Order: sequence, then structure tokens, then C-alpha cells
Amino acid sequence: MRTKCLIKPALVLIAGMVSQTAFAHDPIFGQGPHVLFKDGFEVATEVHSSKKGNELENELGLEVKYGITGDWAMGVDLPYEIKADDGNSSSGFGDAAIFTKYRFWRKDTRALQESAAVSLKIISDTGDETQAPALGSGTTDSVVGLSYGYEGRSWYRWASVRYRQNGTNNAGLQRGDKTLLDFVVGWRPNLTGYTEPDMVYLLELNGELGDIATLNGSSVANTGGDEWFISPGFMWTVKNFAVRGGIQLPVVSDLNGSQEKSDYRAKLSFEWHL
Amino acid sequence: MSKKLIMSIFSVMLLIGSMQQSFASAGTHYNIRVDGLACPFCAYGIEKKFKKMEGISNIKVDLDNGIVSVDAKDGLVLKEEKLKKLFHDSGFTYRSMKTTPLK
Repeated sequence: MRTKCLIKPALVLIAGMVSQTAFAHDPIFGQGPHVLFKDGFEVATEVHSSKKGNELENELGLEVKYGITGDWAMGVDLPYEIKADDGNSSSGFGDAAIFTKYRFWRKDTRALQESAAVSLKIISDTGDETQAPALGSGTTDSVVGLSYGYEGRSWYRWASVRYRQNGTNNAGLQRGDKTLLDFVVGWRPNLTGYTEPDMVYLLELNGELGDIATLNGSSVANTGGDEWFISPGFMWTVKNFAVRGGIQLPVVSDLNGSQEKSDYRAKLSFEWHL
Repeated sequence: MSKKLIMSIFSVMLLIGSMQQSFASAGTHYNIRVDGLACPFCAYGIEKKFKKMEGISNIKVDLDNGIVSVDAKDGLVLKEEKLKKLFHDSGFTYRSMKTTPLK
């Protein structure tokens, strides 16, 4: 009975459990190679909202990042969850995370930067997974990533691949690992000056390829599968302040068994460089 | 007559001396070529690092041409090695610089 009680809340988390950490001029849902200037701080407050059938999840997040060098940054992510599902609701702190990104290649030319970075994120189990809906996964998970970015004055393009490895909880449930693929283009229609407000429009193609979950080694039905999203977004900045937002709209859902398809996911963040 | 001449010469010398003083204290304007400058939000780190340096003012960033310009007070010399490190730490690449005296 306790096992069943722990499975459903954990499975509810599967579809929404993607790495949302993003840096300044990176895509909204994907990941880019941008880091932070040495000894700089970035403080970001974020709002995430997602809906999948009767499951509604809202998350308030606080991220703090630090530039260790001009090519290496690290940070912490502290989420607060507000969830509702099948008439139940819960709220509280979710799974805190630490992350780091290292930009190992950079090619700078006039008004253009191409770069690539690797990243690592460790997501803890600080959220309470016994609540319904669960506020945490009950496991410690990791996400490794590789990203490429082309940042020009008018055009941007990014590509990234991330792999999320999920741990096993006390009930023996291991949510299927996920591969995340992102392809993004960005466009700055007006070339503004350094002190002027600046707008970049983004269009992302985000893919999530999920493995089947296992319970004590046996496959769990109605888990795993693939989803692809088209995600329009924007980045508006002025000096050291940025507002970023976007919405993910599913275009392809190839989920195993009888799972609810994603309806939408949305994100809005406010960031300061200090 | 000689007193007037001496006073005149003295006054001219004082005037020349003060002009030299004003020229000497004006400082230096730096035009620095920097690569990788594509977005204003990302360039903020450059401004922040220059603002930490004493004697630096009038910081401007020209994204389209990849130029960062600053004024340095008299006696402050921005060496190439220091600029390379400053821009590297900001996430960009220093290329070259030109200096002109400030008037």
C-alpha cells in the first residue's frame, strides 16, 4: 500500500521534471553556453507553470549564480512548488539543486561570439515526496549537458543535448531517464545601443525522450515516451536587468500507454546581474 | 621699465606653466577593440570591471563596431596585459587599443 502511495506521486513528476536552469542570454527552455563574468552575481526569480490533463503545477524559483571565471559559473536553485491533481493540492519547498557550467571553447570576432559549454546539475531530494501531489522526487538526480551557441547582433542559434539520470526512491521506483534535445533560433529586429532596452525573439524546438520507469527492476506501464514542443519566447533587457519568458506547446506526443499529454508549459523570469 | 619687463615675463611664464598643467592633467582616451560583443546584457560585466578601477570615467560600449572606450585620468596607464585579463574575465577577447590625449 505504501509502495502504491509512493509510485503515483513520483510518476506525476515524470513529465515535468526537466532541467530549467538557464543563464542570461540563453534559450528559455533549452540550454546555451553562456556563463557569467568573473566575480559577478546573477539573481533570478522565476515562475513556471505547466498543465497536463488534471495535473497543474506552478513553481516559484530563486536562482543565484556566481562567475568563478569568465568561462565558468556555478549556482543554486531553490524552488517553491504549488501543485494540484485529481482534487488534491499541496505546496511547499521542492527539490533544491546545485549546478555548474564551464565554457570550454569560445571564438570571438567582431560583434559575434560562438561558444560551447558543458554543464552539470545535481537535483536533491529536499522536497516532501509523501504529500499528494508530491513536492519532491524522493531521489537525487543528475543532469549533464553539452551546448553550442552562435550569438550575433541580429541572429542567434543554439543547440544542446542534456541527459537526466534519475535515482531510485525508497519504494524501489526509478523514473525513466530522459534525453533532452533543444534547437533554438533568435532574432533581434532592432540593433540598439548598450544602454538602450533590447529585445530578442526566440523560437525553440524542444524534444524530451523518456525511458520507461522501473519498479524494483520491472517495467512500469504507462511511463516513458517522447514529446516535442514548439516554444516561442522573448528576452528583453536593459543594462543589467532582463525579463525572459516563453511557452512550450506540444506538437508531437508519443507517450507509452495511456498517459496524459502535456497541454502547455510556461516560464517567466526576472534576472539581475550584480 | 625693467620691473615691468620682469613682471611681464613672470606672468607669461605663469601662464605657460598653467597651460602645461592643464594639458598634463587631462588624461588619456582609450579606444579598445573587443571581439565577442553581441548583446548589451552580456557586456555589463565590462562596465562593472572598469568602474572598479580608480581614475576611469566615461565608459562607452559600441556593440556594432566592437569598441569599448574609456577615459583615464592623468597618470593612469592601461597596459595591454591588464586589458586582456579584464576582457577575458568579462567573457570577451581583447584585440587592440588606440590612445589619444584628452583635451
